Amino acid sequence: MEGLAPIDEWAIAAIIAKAAGYGAALLAMGGPLFLAAFPEAPTDVRRLARKIAIVAALIGLAILAVRFGIRAGRISGMGLQGAFDPMMLGFVWDSPLGTAAVWHSVGTALVFTAMFDSIAGLVAGLVGAAMIGVSYTSVGHALGDPRWLLASLLTLHLLAAAFWVGALAPLRHAAKDAGGAALLHRFGQIASVTVALLILVGATFAWLMTGSLVALFTTAYGWTLLMKLIIVTGLMIIAAFNKWRLVPALARGAPSAAIHLRRSIYFEAIAVLLILMATAALASITTPPVNL
Amino acid sequence: MRQTLFAALALAAMATGVWAHSKAEQTTPANDATMEKVEVIELRFDAPMRVTAITMTGPAGDVAVARETGMDPVTEFRAMPPADLPHGAYTVDWRGLSADGHPMQGTFGFTVAD
Repeated sequence: MEGLAPIDEWAIAAIIAKAAGYGAALLAMGGPLFLAAFPEAPTDVRRLARKIAIVAALIGLAILAVRFGIRAGRISGMGLQGAFDPMMLGFVWDSPLGTAAVWHSVGTALVFTAMFDSIAGLVAGLVGAAMIGVSYTSVGHALGDPRWLLASLLTLHLLAAAFWVGALAPLRHAAKDAGGAALLHRFGQIASVTVALLILVGATFAWLMTGSLVALFTTAYGWTLLMKLIIVTGLMIIAAFNKWRLVPALARGAPSAAIHLRRSIYFEAIAVLLILMATAALASITTPPVNL
Repeated sequence: MRQTLFAALALAAMATGVWAHSKAEQTTPANDATMEKVEVIELRFDAPMRVTAITMTGPAGDVAVARETGMDPVTEFRAMPPADLPHGAYTVDWRGLSADGHPMQGTFGFTVAD
């Protein structure tokens, strides 16, 4: 299989840290998006969305620091000691990851302002969410050509994903009665647009990275991408089932609809976790076929 | 699905793939070459690479190599092995940071013999 980097314990650690970082970033970005999209959501649901965004944003910063250490350790060849080596850390800071860290940190600070229940706070939070998204365009495969197209596609992809991922826990919390069903129904309406966008821009990005259908089956990048797509398909099936079966059942007041819906959203979250792992592997240990 | 992912990761861990982002990487001595004398260790990259670590091991363990190239990103990296390397098999390992921020690594081997 072509285009697979050597995998040692540092690479595994990097993949796990990267996946956790993606999760934290999407949750932090998703908070302001949820608050903006659902002003009518009950106070406790909005409070939960805020709380998750703040905690995720803080965890995201911690993970960023850990990723700096892991990268310094990897390039130093000295193991754990290298993770704290000032010179190696300086090289990482000078690399695109340093640029990404600046965008990510400023974006995080702005997401914190979404904590305040005001229009200005929310607008700043949305700008912060976009900045965290943009931070990912300064590293890795998005740096290829055409640069601006790749960067725009990736930012849109992340914002659309964040809207979905950030809404999972608040929606699960709201899924208890017919009142919650209205919120879930509205989410389903918006998501039918944002998920289509998510997939369209993701597929375009993947096409620019892959360049041919054959490469899907002959490269490590292709196989990892296929694995991601299989899990995405599973997630779509769960989401469609929620939208067309469980949410209407909840609205009708069908018995145990709430339990089924909450469990179903839990499975969505697990699928998201697997997708993040596949994406982190894609971004860490594989080379896009167009670069081979 | 989780098992599938782990199985794939385990499979990937066993595979010996090419190094990402350094397809055009060439070395002096060439990989698997047999040389009478090695005067310089060279790594050539298709894009600037900051080589952050380089180690060489020989029949008697670690061999110190003197870097001629500094820590700046380069497309051609040079380091000097000690003069008169004893006969035997040698392996060079390097680590680096590519221009797009990816941590990179590579290894190659050569033999010193008459």
